[in-house]
Amino acid sequence: MARVFITGLGFVTSIGNDAAAVARNLRDLRHGIELYPPFQKPECPCKVAGTIKEFRTDSPDPEDWSWPERYTIKREHIRSMAPNGLFAHCAFLQAVADARLEEKDVSNDDSGLYAASGGSPFLTHHHHERLLKVGVARCSPMGIVSSIVGTLNFNLVAAFRIRGASCGFSSACASSAHALGYAFDDISLGRQKRMFVVGAEDGNYDAIMPFAAMRTLSLQSDPALASRPFDTGRDGFVGTGGGTVLVLESEDEVARRGARPYCELAGWGQASDGYNVAISHPEGSGLRLATERALRSAGVAPGGVDYVNAHATSTPIGDISEARMLRAVFRDAGARPAISSTKALTGHGLSLAGAMETGFCALAFREAFLPGSAHITHLDPECDGLNIIRATVEGRPDVIVKNSSGFGGANVSLVLKKA
Amino acid sequence: MPEASQSAASGNKPFFSLAKPFGPEDEAGLRESLKRCSPSTFEAAVQYRKTGNPEHVPAVVIGVIERFVEPDLRMKLKDADDDLRLIEDLGVDSLTMMEIVILVEDVLQLTINNEELRNLRTVGDVKTFIDCKIRGLPLPKPTKFVPIERICAVMPIQPPFLFLNEASVSSTGANGKYRITGQEVFLQGHFKDNPVMPASIMLEAIGQLAVLFLLEGAPTEPGMVISPSTIFFAGCEGVRAHRVCRPGDLLTLSVKTKRMKMPLATFEGSIRVGQEKAVIAEEITLTFGYAAAAAAPAGEPGGLPHDPAAPAAPPLRVAING
Repeated sequence: MARVFITGLGFVTSIGNDAAAVARNLRDLRHGIELYPPFQKPECPCKVAGTIKEFRTDSPDPEDWSWPERYTIKREHIRSMAPNGLFAHCAFLQAVADARLEEKDVSNDDSGLYAASGGSPFLTHHHHERLLKVGVARCSPMGIVSSIVGTLNFNLVAAFRIRGASCGFSSACASSAHALGYAFDDISLGRQKRMFVVGAEDGNYDAIMPFAAMRTLSLQSDPALASRPFDTGRDGFVGTGGGTVLVLESEDEVARRGARPYCELAGWGQASDGYNVAISHPEGSGLRLATERALRSAGVAPGGVDYVNAHATSTPIGDISEARMLRAVFRDAGARPAISSTKALTGHGLSLAGAMETGFCALAFREAFLPGSAHITHLDPECDGLNIIRATVEGRPDVIVKNSSGFGGANVSLVLKKA
Repeated sequence: MPEASQSAASGNKPFFSLAKPFGPEDEAGLRESLKRCSPSTFEAAVQYRKTGNPEHVPAVVIGVIERFVEPDLRMKLKDADDDLRLIEDLGVDSLTMMEIVILVEDVLQLTINNEELRNLRTVGDVKTFIDCKIRGLPLPKPTKFVPIERICAVMPIQPPFLFLNEASVSSTGANGKYRITGQEVFLQGHFKDNPVMPASIMLEAIGQLAVLFLLEGAPTEPGMVISPSTIFFAGCEGVRAHRVCRPGDLLTLSVKTKRMKMPLATFEGSIRVGQEKAVIAEEITLTFGYAAAAAAPAGEPGGLPHDPAAPAAPPLRVAING
């Protein structure tokens, strides 16, 4: 089995649009949450979001958008994108440069791409409304490929001439963690030498507001208080968008290219709750099994884990489920890894979350720090016995576990090791 | 219009009417639709919508195409001839074609069917197509690309005396290309140590393109097929050579029908090298005749008058005496 390494990162997130800014804000616990203008209407119960700076994507016509000048994107490519496609395209360019990949390293039979986004409810709405209003003959031929789930992989695979494996993953907030897991499998089984793993979300009104119907969004209007996983005052998550791209490569490719890895992706596990369509199992049974499998797959004992980047989204029920499963896996084995949820800083990136937060973990290895769990004033008593770090801890970790859970009780756990 | 194919003509009615005057609201809508087009495109669209004068249409169509072409390729449209190809020269794929059509439909207030689009290969095709829609004229037969294999299969003239590498044929004329290789046998003696393409051969090349047009594009009476063995040179007028052509030059040939009535077809022809005129023939006339009725393949409804897949290979003969 080939070992798998993370060799490149690209970020467009609420806490920064490149790896340096993201690392700085993670270390300093500076959040990216703001009062989001489209939410400032009386009928919107929720007021804040993790906003993407430097990009303007509020028109349904991509040719109206603006993005940082350092990215050159042709009309041929932008015309079929949703906002999440633009974020991912820019993150992809960063990741390729970061990993020092040449064009032939990106486009060949042995390099593939797995992606995860919830599609673009924003553009689905726009194109469908047009369909009903003016008839299909006057609708954009890009309506489908820019908006359905899969828009990310369609666009990136075409734009970057990807010739290896490609597909999209749809397990809600576990999607891009699933993408990472299967990309790991493809490389370790020798099917591919390199995989680009992409998570991205629009993070706009249409992507976030529907969650208010489930009563899962925080109603806090103070951006510094709205996302506070593990705090007794938490009242729901804060939505965010953006894009993250990770470059995964086999050990042979790392050696051949002389690449400098951030860390090793050492194994993963998944399991399902089989419990409820939207509510996590009260004991976190599926996530517990996923983590146990991930540790076994990576050959790591609970005591060998230095840090857990939790899924914890700041919802009352979800955070407790995860706290309980963390107690069962770690405390009951006598282990006390540092635990934090970086969603306190970014908000919850939905399909993007797993990839984005795995990228954060990769930065933690490179920059030698563990980001604290921000915004906790009263720790939920359910977290007793867990080492939830409220401030950033300096020092290079040896092993990190990254958790992700999605609707339907889909759970993924990834294990990262120092390279 | 004899060059119109009957099938495409059905159901294509003039649509323009001044029933609803063009108001400020329409102008605002038009400005929004054309916001990424040049000001002259917008002006032309306003004029068309106000007056219904089809003379403004080409400017609108070119302006809309320009808006969808990548900036680095837009220069090609500036001094474009009608032979500029949408896919090969402008990078327009079928999705972009849809985008162009949707905007043209919106701006000129007309409806274009999918199947009408398939055969638009060049900027000239698009202009002619829209013009016919606007005027309510029958649609012309589409431009057809004729690769070298097909040229060799249908032409009575064969190498080493064939001076066409590729061609495209419409219902009103044909365009072709020939690269002078330097291997042409007559260049050994024309001239001594100074190879120059003979002007008579250049006229021959124009004539060969006209032959190809008669075999592949010319509208004929229903059920009738022009026989390759009946085509001969009849005469020419106003032939002038403007430029010396040598090995390496890429000749761009063009013929347009001026008159066509059994048994004579008269064309105007030209050869260019890049933007430079090389040879002009004000008139070149060929004679032609139909194949025996029994040999004519049955015309498919709505299909080409000459079935290109007809197995009966024409006899090979030198068709132009010249």
